[in-house]
Amino acid sequence: MGKIIKLAVILAVFCIISAGGLAYVYLFTQPKIEKNAKLAFENSKREVLGKDNIGTAVVVSPRGYSGPIEMLVGIDKGKVKGIKVLSHRETPGLGANIVKSSFLNQFIGKSLKDLIEPKKDIDAITGATISSRAVCSGVREALQKACLPAGR
Amino acid sequence: MNLWKDFNAGLIKENPVLRLMIGLCPVLAVSNNAVNALGMSVAVAFVLICSNWVVAAIRKVVPDEIRIPIFIIIISTFVTISDYVMQAYFLELHHALGVFVPLIVVNCIILGRAEAFAYKNPVLNSILDGIGMSLGFALALVSIGVIREVLGAGSVFGLSLFNPAVAATIMVLPPGAFITIGFLMAALNKMEKKVL
Repeated sequence: MGKIIKLAVILAVFCIISAGGLAYVYLFTQPKIEKNAKLAFENSKREVLGKDNIGTAVVVSPRGYSGPIEMLVGIDKGKVKGIKVLSHRETPGLGANIVKSSFLNQFIGKSLKDLIEPKKDIDAITGATISSRAVCSGVREALQKACLPAGR
Repeated sequence: MNLWKDFNAGLIKENPVLRLMIGLCPVLAVSNNAVNALGMSVAVAFVLICSNWVVAAIRKVVPDEIRIPIFIIIISTFVTISDYVMQAYFLELHHALGVFVPLIVVNCIILGRAEAFAYKNPVLNSILDGIGMSLGFALALVSIGVIREVLGAGSVFGLSLFNPAVAATIMVLPPGAFITIGFLMAALNKMEKKVL
């Protein structure tokens, strides 16, 4: 019995030291981490809306090949102004190429009147049809959110 | 002389990836380009060297029965620290490495070195073992990363070499990792036979 208690106490001491150390590191990295997250959002908003920063930025997360693709769509006067992928879990080397501007720039200027379908008015990424289709549906969803009156 | 041997072992002779074949999971996952491979190597090196150092320093007060949980606590503490630091100062890298940073906790190279080396050896030897093993891991991971990125995406460290349309996409996918590791292992075996 005495031995078990001794082992437990030793283990507890290690846990406390570790927790203390982590709390200390957390204390001085946390403000920076929060600032980073905020800055990243502001930057992406500016990226999708351009220099003048006019219009609305809509966050959508369509389902990709292996999880949600969170993206920010900047829309002004019913037209897509810019897109940025915030986070995704697509296959590296294939689906992950949705973040490339060569793919995303195709959507600029699209409106609700456009099809926004891969292989029709959008060139899909080779080997990543599902990821490409997900981005398309995300853009359509964002346009609907921004352009159609609420409640419909 | 012994110190040099402890340092040297991890580089080629007992290279964790190509000779001991441990810690392959992150190797397969993050070696699809050279930058990720390098970032992962740095994170693993930090955790491995620190955990070897602490485990060696406290080896005399750690009872045998609970050594593994204590190793895990030590390792996970350093992993969490490196995760926080990455989030605060290297956000891009943090996004690229994703879940593989927290998974360093269960990387068998680190627990393996704690159990097989640091728990039985003095602090200085253990730190050198950690440095040697980290360099060996980095060497393997970065070579795999460079080979896969060149053949699979036509670039190296993000710099474009040739048109990616003619690159073999399979190389940046999981099979490419297995193929590359196999060839590197074969090359290393051949080399060793000649040298020794």
